[in-house]
Amino acid sequence: MSLVTALRSGRIAHAPAATLAPASAITLQSRGYAAPAKPAQKTASKFKSNKNKDKDKDKRGPRDSGAFRPMSVTNLTHPVFQSEQRTQLKLPVFRPEAITATAATKAMAFPHEESRALKAYGLPRNILVDYLLLAKPCSVVRQVTVDMLDQLDGAAASSSKDNRIVLTGKAGSGKSYLMLQAVQYCIQKQWLTLYIPRAISLVNSSTAYAYDARTQTYGQPAFAQQLLKRFADVNAALLQSLTVQNSYPLEDRTVPTGAPLADLINVGAEFQNYAPTVLNAMLDELALQTKYPVLLAVDDFQALYCTSQYRDPFFRSVKSYHLMLPRALLEFASGKKTLARGAFLGALSMQDTKYRPPLELIEALGLEPLGPSNPYVPRLPELVEYAKGLKNFPVPEQLTVDEAASIYDVWQQSKALHIPLADEMFLAKYTEANGNAGRFVKHGLLETVAM
Amino acid sequence: MQLLGIRLPDNHFVKHALTQFYGIGNKTALRLCARVQIHERCRIRHLNQSQVTALTAFLSSPANSPPAAFQPLAPPNYVPPPLSQPVPAPAPREGEPVPADTLREIKIESDLRRQMRENIAHQRNIGSYVGRRHAMHLPVRGQRTQSNAKTARKLNRVERYN
Repeated sequence: MSLVTALRSGRIAHAPAATLAPASAITLQSRGYAAPAKPAQKTASKFKSNKNKDKDKDKRGPRDSGAFRPMSVTNLTHPVFQSEQRTQLKLPVFRPEAITATAATKAMAFPHEESRALKAYGLPRNILVDYLLLAKPCSVVRQVTVDMLDQLDGAAASSSKDNRIVLTGKAGSGKSYLMLQAVQYCIQKQWLTLYIPRAISLVNSSTAYAYDARTQTYGQPAFAQQLLKRFADVNAALLQSLTVQNSYPLEDRTVPTGAPLADLINVGAEFQNYAPTVLNAMLDELALQTKYPVLLAVDDFQALYCTSQYRDPFFRSVKSYHLMLPRALLEFASGKKTLARGAFLGALSMQDTKYRPPLELIEALGLEPLGPSNPYVPRLPELVEYAKGLKNFPVPEQLTVDEAASIYDVWQQSKALHIPLADEMFLAKYTEANGNAGRFVKHGLLETVAM
Repeated sequence: MQLLGIRLPDNHFVKHALTQFYGIGNKTALRLCARVQIHERCRIRHLNQSQVTALTAFLSSPANSPPAAFQPLAPPNYVPPPLSQPVPAPAPREGEPVPADTLREIKIESDLRRQMRENIAHQRNIGSYVGRRHAMHLPVRGQRTQSNAKTARKLNRVERYN
């Protein structure tokens, strides 16, 4: 049974340090990113097979593997658990002032109170798995982090037309973590931040869609409503001072010019059928205002360039730019719409083989093509247009030894591993992974814990 | 949920639950979902009233159902009209053919069973080989009878139940 399934079912033996420290605020994200908070009532199935009647199985919850039932701390009464050597995971806090050139290779924890993005927007799947095991959500600040945050500082004053960055690199090189650090940094630096951790969920037909005759595209009302609520939650303080610069006459209510932007967002958050229109309107308003810089961050960026799994009533495939939110994101990514102040940040993801970066995007970023790239291979002119002017920001494939050592320290301190704290072990794992961060943690460190 | 007398479990995906209808397989179910704009991961309990009504209206009689909605999709350079203006009715662009609506030709449930019975009865009436084999409860399509004709002997009838 895989690690992810074990974690998803909430059944994993927590490390002792984790039970001491305040429980990580990252809850298991539900499968449906835009799903409503309350799960629906399950109807009892009347069918009972006779096969399992005689076996006496103890009662199990749904998706319970039977392994890894956590015991509460109060049950650990044996003297061997009353150890003075249990320590909390102590890490410096991730703050903009602390990110300097000397801070590179230091592990920093995201601040508990201010990690709004982690709780509100959710996380990419690989990062979520890590944070369920660690005591605190943290990451290692690398040299590439310092470089990228310097670039974002420069982007704060200029339009997003010159600051459309795409993080590229091999699988496991740390693109999603880098994007998370950028989002966290921008929130702490008073930027308006919109973060979409799994853009694949926009195009894989996992959320409801509805045709909008005005824009001749499909909106995703449930997803848009959730995103508006999350954006309002994360940026609540900054939205209080922003007003709307155009008027928006919706079907039965109007948001006039000069009304607070929060009012416009609330209309969409309250009424699901208005949500896609309100989301687009909100993005246009954010693009116009100059009071705060704006960060649009999209992980799994390549999914926006793939054909979606949605179908029109005649069962023809719907392209991603026929969906309202992906279309808006593509327009900001390609420079057709620009933010007056701010940046667009995308991160490619090589994990999902159903949503691989298409040739048009790969050529625009100057990467090595995955398949044939001779002149006879068709390139869609629409996608070539949407990929124009994207800047490639390569993430180095290998961690330096110091950075890897910081990661190793974090995992050892959180008492999640059962290997000795020794240089030989560290160098062995580092070499096996060839310095790749993802492989170092998942296949190097976590596979030492027998499942 | 009950739909036209057939129980569709709340927890099932709609694209799978619709195959409970006689005459609807996986392919037709997917096309039906697309017609009514139900996404692939939608479960029966997530359906709203308008979607249920649309499904019921189609399944009660596919031939007389309303035609599939024509939904033109905007090219990248399309500029939508402002919110204050009324939205024009969607119409096909010049030279753009409207695709055929093959879903209205399907038969389900009692219509399909009746069609099968009529086909077998027709074969009997014209005195064809196929009709004679149905009447003798033997395999129709040239299979062996020296052994292994059990299913044909059990199910082949002129007045076949399904």
